[in-house]
Amino acid sequence: MWWIPLRSLVRNRRRTALSIAIVALGTAISFFVYGFLEDSRLQIQASTVSEYGNLQIASPDLWEDTADGYEYLIEPETEAQVRTLLASHDGLTGITEQLQFPGLVAAGNETQVVRITAQVPENGTLTSDGFVIDGRPLQSTDVAAVLMGRSLAARLDVGVGDIVTLTLTTVDGAYNASPLQIVGIYGFSSEQVELRTLFMPLTFAQLLLNTAGVDRLIVNLSSIAATDREVVSIQQQLDQAGLALEARPWYDLSPIYQQLSGYFDILFGFLTLAVFILVFFIILQVLTLAFLERTREIGTIRALGTTQGEVFRQLIAESGWLAVLGSLTGILVGGLLGAGFNAIGIKWRPPGTVEASLLSVQITALTMLPPFLVGVAATLLSAVFPSIQTSRLRVVDALRVE
Amino acid sequence: MTKGSQFCHERGRPFLEARALGKTYDVGGSTVHALREVDFTAAQGDFIVINGPSGSGKTTFLNLISAIDRPSHGEVRIQGVSTNDLNERQLATLRKEKIGLIFQTFNLIPVLSAAENVEYPLLLQRLPKSERMKRVQAMLDEVGLLDMAGRRPNELSGGQRQRVAVARALITRPKLVLADEPTANLDSETGGRVMELMQRLNEEHCVVFIVVTHDPAVTPYAQRKIRIHDGTLNEGADA
Repeated sequence: MWWIPLRSLVRNRRRTALSIAIVALGTAISFFVYGFLEDSRLQIQASTVSEYGNLQIASPDLWEDTADGYEYLIEPETEAQVRTLLASHDGLTGITEQLQFPGLVAAGNETQVVRITAQVPENGTLTSDGFVIDGRPLQSTDVAAVLMGRSLAARLDVGVGDIVTLTLTTVDGAYNASPLQIVGIYGFSSEQVELRTLFMPLTFAQLLLNTAGVDRLIVNLSSIAATDREVVSIQQQLDQAGLALEARPWYDLSPIYQQLSGYFDILFGFLTLAVFILVFFIILQVLTLAFLERTREIGTIRALGTTQGEVFRQLIAESGWLAVLGSLTGILVGGLLGAGFNAIGIKWRPPGTVEASLLSVQITALTMLPPFLVGVAATLLSAVFPSIQTSRLRVVDALRVE
Repeated sequence: MTKGSQFCHERGRPFLEARALGKTYDVGGSTVHALREVDFTAAQGDFIVINGPSGSGKTTFLNLISAIDRPSHGEVRIQGVSTNDLNERQLATLRKEKIGLIFQTFNLIPVLSAAENVEYPLLLQRLPKSERMKRVQAMLDEVGLLDMAGRRPNELSGGQRQRVAVARALITRPKLVLADEPTANLDSETGGRVMELMQRLNEEHCVVFIVVTHDPAVTPYAQRKIRIHDGTLNEGADA
């Protein structure tokens, strides 16, 4: 009897088309916005992983900021132990060390508080090489060299080849200072990063700080999706080896990612709710009227022996067809809109950033599914009340309706 | 007219009983008695014709004995089972399995073809498709509509629709058929064919027919004639 509800839909083409259009509109809007938010989320994910690696291993004191001075540093023997443990993991594509510390950089009369990220040049795992927009990346032969953000270079009015002075405190608490030559200028999406972060070779930074240690090991994996699994596995190995170190995934290292991701979830939640309410109430009205017009027909099939439950199922099946057809149409329309939007290639520079990023809509099965389910659920739920009401009509009353 | 048949061995066995059956409606604060303390019995093989003036209670009586309405007092027993004791689901099953209804205004399902309308009660009985098709074809042939099988109700004349409605009521081979003006929209020849079909089913399968009609051409088919007036039944009186 599955075809009877479908026939009922075909009977009143105008009303069916209107219902499908309403469901489709809600689903299309939902799909477009969700696809856009997911694309933004993926871009931020990729950017965050390129900035932090898939996971980092460091002392809990570093993560919690509870260390006295540089107590959190990982000494070379410990680092060697960790590297041995990590060698057994297949999904790892690279490991490198990093040492971050605060300092003051000065050029002429301008001084700026900065955070230095000391890294192994040409390590192949996590470098700032890809961000260089002027000059060159750091090289393994560099000593007193620095890579400076374009916003800081502009503020200090310096460029490639110029010398700046870095002042810092060593791990023993003594003051130290050194001239550094700017070998390259990098650009980043965040102006704050460009202003606050300098990159320099790890060995020279260790020399300036008077230490052989590093503050973290950065691990890259073959896929972002493997992060959680590897974090758990590595942590178990660290614990078994008795090392007081903690592995943290990339999303825990970036508060901005967490905030933005949460914001996207809230945004999509509100949109979903709005679409749900819109579709729910309009379809409720349409179906109530449609079922009302068929009161006599419902009375007839009840008189012929159709049970209330069978009538209810027929009406719900009819709404099910509407829900599926409307949601599929919505996904198709939303997908076409998204493809058109992607083809235009609109760029936008978010506040606090220095580079415009390409706005696009993710069109994948994963971004189609939630809006599709929202469309189907809203339509089916809106059908429940009128279907119950209609199926419970007294047969004799329904037959009297002209 | 043949009254009774050699094929029907259950003839005379009580099938439907109404005891002190009454229906009242509350209209504008006053009580209207549509049916008053009616006692009625129909035995297997009965062919009963009911007539009466408009508003006399004919439709109310049909509604109560077809189990699509509940009495205000009294009871209807079908094969010994009181409809008062059945819930909505059981009443639906009773109608599906034992009762065929022919409505004055056809009440065909507009989205279904003639054949599908006739097939609908068989779908409710979950018969296999091959069996359904066989019975639908035979029934449409019986009412002379085999060549109209694929047409929708709005593509049929009033008489053709009524024949589809008759075919739909008879397709499940019910034990009781209640017909409200079954010949009202038919020409005399088609009306005669429909009545002859009913008569044949009555004789061969002991189907109880209770027909409400004003058509004098139907009266000769009746074994029992009942007149309803002001909600009371008067057996043996002609209109």
